[in-house]
Amino acid sequence: MNAMSLSAPLLRSILRCAVAAAIAASPVFAQDLLAVKAGRILTVSGPVVEDGVVLIQNGRITKIGKQAEVEIPWAAKVIDATGKTVMPTWVVAHSQGGMRNFNENMQNVPWLTVGDAVDPASPYFEDCLRNGVGAIHVMPGNQTLLAGQGMVVRPFGRTVEDMTIAANTGIKMSLAAGGSGRLQQIRKLRRAIADVREYLADFDRRKAEFDKEKAAGAIPADKKWTEEVDRTKKGAVDLVQKKAKGWLYVPSFAELDEALRLAQDLDLQVVLGNNIDEGVGLVKKLGKPVVLDDAIEYFETDEETQKEKRFCSAKLLADAGVPFALTLGQGGPTAYPWWQLGTCVRHGIARDKAIEALTMVPAQLIGMGDQLGSLSEGKLGNLQILTGDPLQATSWVETVVLEGQVVYERSKDPRLQYLFEAEKAKASKAAGPEKKETEKKDGAEPAKAEPAKAEGGKQDAPKSGNGNGRGVR
Amino acid sequence: MLRCTLLPTALVGLAATLSAQDLLVRAKTVVIAPDAVLADGRFLVRAGKVAYVGQDVPADAAAKATAIDCGDALVVPGFVLPPTTLGRDRDLAEAALPFTPDLRAVEAFDPWHEELAKLPHGGFTSAILSPSPRNIAGGLGALVKPGAGGGSVAAPDLHLALSLNAAARNPERPPTSLMGAVDLLRSAFAQAKSSAAAGPDVAVLRSALQGNRKIAIAADTLSEIQQALDLARDFGFDAVIVGARDADKALDRLVAQRAAVVIGGLAPEMRLAQLQFPARLAEAGVPFCFTGRPDQARLSAALAVRHGLDRKSAWAALSRAPAQMFGVAGQVGALRQGCAADFAVWSGDPLDLGSALRAVYVDGARVHGELPSAAANPASSPAAGVR
Amino acid sequence: MIRSLPLGAIALALAALLPAQDGVTVYRNARILPGGAPAIDNGVLVVGGGKILAIGGADTKAPNGAAVVDCAGKTITPGLIDASFRAGNTPDMNENGDEVTPHLRVLDSLEPADPSFVRARSAGVTAVHVMPGARSVIGGLGVVLKTHAKDPQAMVVKHDASLRIVMGAEPSMGNRAIRGGSVDSIYYRRPTTRMGVVWAARKAFYDAKEALEKSADAPPATPSPGVEVLTRVLRGQVTAVTTARSEQDLRTALRLAAEFGYRTVLDDAQDAHMLVDELKAAQTTVMLGAPSATAIAGSAGADGADPRSVTARLLADAGVPFVITTGSNAASLDLVREAMFAARNGISSARALDAVTIEPARLLGIDQRTGSLQKGKDADFVVWSTDPLDPAAAAESVFVDGIAVQVLR
Repeated sequence: MNAMSLSAPLLRSILRCAVAAAIAASPVFAQDLLAVKAGRILTVSGPVVEDGVVLIQNGRITKIGKQAEVEIPWAAKVIDATGKTVMPTWVVAHSQGGMRNFNENMQNVPWLTVGDAVDPASPYFEDCLRNGVGAIHVMPGNQTLLAGQGMVVRPFGRTVEDMTIAANTGIKMSLAAGGSGRLQQIRKLRRAIADVREYLADFDRRKAEFDKEKAAGAIPADKKWTEEVDRTKKGAVDLVQKKAKGWLYVPSFAELDEALRLAQDLDLQVVLGNNIDEGVGLVKKLGKPVVLDDAIEYFETDEETQKEKRFCSAKLLADAGVPFALTLGQGGPTAYPWWQLGTCVRHGIARDKAIEALTMVPAQLIGMGDQLGSLSEGKLGNLQILTGDPLQATSWVETVVLEGQVVYERSKDPRLQYLFEAEKAKASKAAGPEKKETEKKDGAEPAKAEPAKAEGGKQDAPKSGNGNGRGVR
Repeated sequence: MLRCTLLPTALVGLAATLSAQDLLVRAKTVVIAPDAVLADGRFLVRAGKVAYVGQDVPADAAAKATAIDCGDALVVPGFVLPPTTLGRDRDLAEAALPFTPDLRAVEAFDPWHEELAKLPHGGFTSAILSPSPRNIAGGLGALVKPGAGGGSVAAPDLHLALSLNAAARNPERPPTSLMGAVDLLRSAFAQAKSSAAAGPDVAVLRSALQGNRKIAIAADTLSEIQQALDLARDFGFDAVIVGARDADKALDRLVAQRAAVVIGGLAPEMRLAQLQFPARLAEAGVPFCFTGRPDQARLSAALAVRHGLDRKSAWAALSRAPAQMFGVAGQVGALRQGCAADFAVWSGDPLDLGSALRAVYVDGARVHGELPSAAANPASSPAAGVR
Repeated sequence: MIRSLPLGAIALALAALLPAQDGVTVYRNARILPGGAPAIDNGVLVVGGGKILAIGGADTKAPNGAAVVDCAGKTITPGLIDASFRAGNTPDMNENGDEVTPHLRVLDSLEPADPSFVRARSAGVTAVHVMPGARSVIGGLGVVLKTHAKDPQAMVVKHDASLRIVMGAEPSMGNRAIRGGSVDSIYYRRPTTRMGVVWAARKAFYDAKEALEKSADAPPATPSPGVEVLTRVLRGQVTAVTTARSEQDLRTALRLAAEFGYRTVLDDAQDAHMLVDELKAAQTTVMLGAPSATAIAGSAGADGADPRSVTARLLADAGVPFVITTGSNAASLDLVREAMFAARNGISSARALDAVTIEPARLLGIDQRTGSLQKGKDADFVVWSTDPLDPAAAAESVFVDGIAVQVLR
């Protein structure tokens, strides 16, 4: 919009500068104004727009509409995704991805932060981009008690600072028995929280005494109270004062009672394991949306008949009317958004509801509902271009745009090239008559392109040691 | 205490003096066999065997006999414990070789073994001592009995004990898999059938295939049971399936092949289908009995009754059925004429767990408990003798 | 669960509960993917007596009085066939007593009540090929089974369907070199190297070949049962299936087969993309184990193999026959999902579906009975909620020999 109001000559000179700047290797400026023309836009928050366009300026979405109705500024970099699907990037509300060791051996460590453990070169973030994930709430692992602060990151950037969308997003807690029994774990968590409350009470009492003595003249008037809350307790203090959210991992229905009790005094976000079929009522009692583990499908065997019963935790919650966020696994089929959504639909969850569970709902749960989770004007310019419907296995993420920057292009994905490279050799050898049949298929084959320029650790040649090369094992 | 230490000596003395003396056992209820229950019944024991039953007892012999009056109690045949190692795996599981059909359990029989001596504490008066199911072909079992003066072998080389269950598949020596075990047995049987082969192990198999000896196969899972039944079908013998944990899933085949089942023991936490299995077997006419520790076997029968088994079949499962199954029905398992005078005196139905075991007799000699009060009363005892 | 089902599904469920085996049932309005033939939109499938009586378009004739099931919106495919199926995972699948046990039959170790059969058929698999485990060089004879039958004996479709040979490190895993101490353990006697593994196989085939040559000019002495099985392989009466993952093992498998003149199927051929031409020349069928395991983030395959996403596509292009299986990979998904991953990685959905239906039926030699929807074949079929390669597809009803073995709960 701003660009439109500039005079043409000025604009031209700006453009010239922009081109120069782009050549000088700063893609950011060139992408300052981005228009994505799409065959189909799934906005999530609003209606589907066929033959639409999304405008992103300065990292934020400024306009979404029909191509016929929206004028694309001529200065904008245009991505033509005609015939393709454009939708918001996925939001993962709870993940241990991108960290080497995510379970601290010491259980009560509220002063830690995942910011010190996130590895920008981790292949996990590569996979996130490949799968169209735009924001990940990274939290400490589940084998813990009070484990420290999480953060929301984008799967792009050379340093943790580059990647950070929001820091100190909440304190991770867990009711998963870390080596001890369930009751012991519950007791330990209660004890840890009680300790913090005692510490706080003691702190306040000492401060009150100080003030009293000062008022009484026992302490010189110019002496100030200098003691601050113990740094190692800060996170936990924030938690009990409800200044920080607690992210509580609840491995099964058996721990839900304790979760309900804790929810009375704390600002709690529950992350649910599976095996919850007997506790849906308790989840409902929480009165809040919950985050689900990546494994949403599970079996139970009837001891008498030896018959297996298949459950889907998401479906159980959907039936009970409890809003939920889905998450993605690291490796395995649950790492694929289409797998997770397909599983939901297979169990009878409405398609839109499933999509929301990996976009809007998690965005809201990590406190960024106004920034992420849908394509709407004013939100961050995060979108993905898919070759087809997001719920189809044959769809591939073509392009990922984060805050107006193109951060992933399938044609330049070195690891995909590696996995498909035998294809290239074959193609050069001989193109048989059967070749044509397969070429008709769209989206089955990554486009060939020259290798991308190195970008931080991400573009390492696959053979270099992420376990992809031959003979690594 | 004093009585305990004196008892053996006393019995030895008694045996010497009473060996020629008949015993007349009387009780309000005498179970000769599950389908022959005598009210106010009696039977005469002569030389350790049941000589006459009920009305058949000659008046003069009755008059001369020492009476054991059990009053209100129930006298039942002593229970027979089907294939068991009596806790003596070390002597009955040949670890070095998986296939030893010609080994004989009697060679490892210890007449003074503690487990044997304890059998009567559960109302058992005989057991089928069997090579351990840890071997694919363990060897030959024997009918053994406890006794006041040490145990005895009542029938040697009774049955051939084979095994397909998990214990037989030793991870450190072949065969380690079920298919390997089945192959071993199949080729061994085929060899025994072909006249060319000779040797002690082949002779044992051949004799069993000719029907001279029962073949018992330990098998728990459905696949093991099916393999056992396949072998029985292919080589033409009537199998006794021992253990039979999942046998409820193979009932049709058990019926079709006239197999018998030795159930490894029931416990309250088992699948309902397992607990109801004895009742279904009884309905289908498949012979069955229970093994395990002596107390377990009685509990198993009681649980089976709790889950629909009729009492007669339950009694049979503890006495007559195992005797018939292993071909010793003429010796043990009932109080018919000619059988060993192995019996137990219970305060009530032994299938009621509240019933107390008062005394147990093996071959007409008391091995456990007290003399029934009536007989123990010195005042009534001579009177009985006079009559 | 039933509450949430659409009416159609309930009708279908009820129809399935009827005694379908004797009565005739007509499935109408479905999209039918018959396997090895073009899709039929708005198709009709007529089933009776456990067999397919007719299949065709909307005008297909059906006998009067037949039960009719409306399958609008559904897709019907043949029952899937898993050509390398892991039935349970018990130690019984491997006989460790010897590294060469060709005469052992895996059927003897199979637990017909194993939950893996239930899980397979509830995922639309109606027939499976089970082989002995991979811990022996020559493990024994495989068997083809239906995933359901009234009597476990009746599950068998084909006895002695294959002889399993295993290359690579797996048969030597856990075996020990003798370093003093007792040599009682059987693990001391088994190969510890790739060389040793191949030697064991070569020795076995050498003995079989010798027996074969001797029997040609002398009256046949009774050969040992193992040798007898191997001579059947050499005569082409039993199919050899060689499990070989890495390129070197695949080459070894082909070399060994050429050396003794038998043909072999290659199981879990993860490095097949490296020797497409050789595979084509050898006219070898390839069993692809778990295409989903080619993780994008990349992980080395078993035995040092380097699986690529493109393998199925390359084989299809070169005309090398292949089937998709689950068996050799512990982390494999339902068979239909593996076909879905293959389609994602570049083969057409029709080809992917054939690779789990008619192709394995041909490979196993059971295509006269099952593997596609054709008049006269067994009524093994699946009614899917939508296209079977859609991640949201559920096997709503599964029929084996016309008997409903799954009616979606």
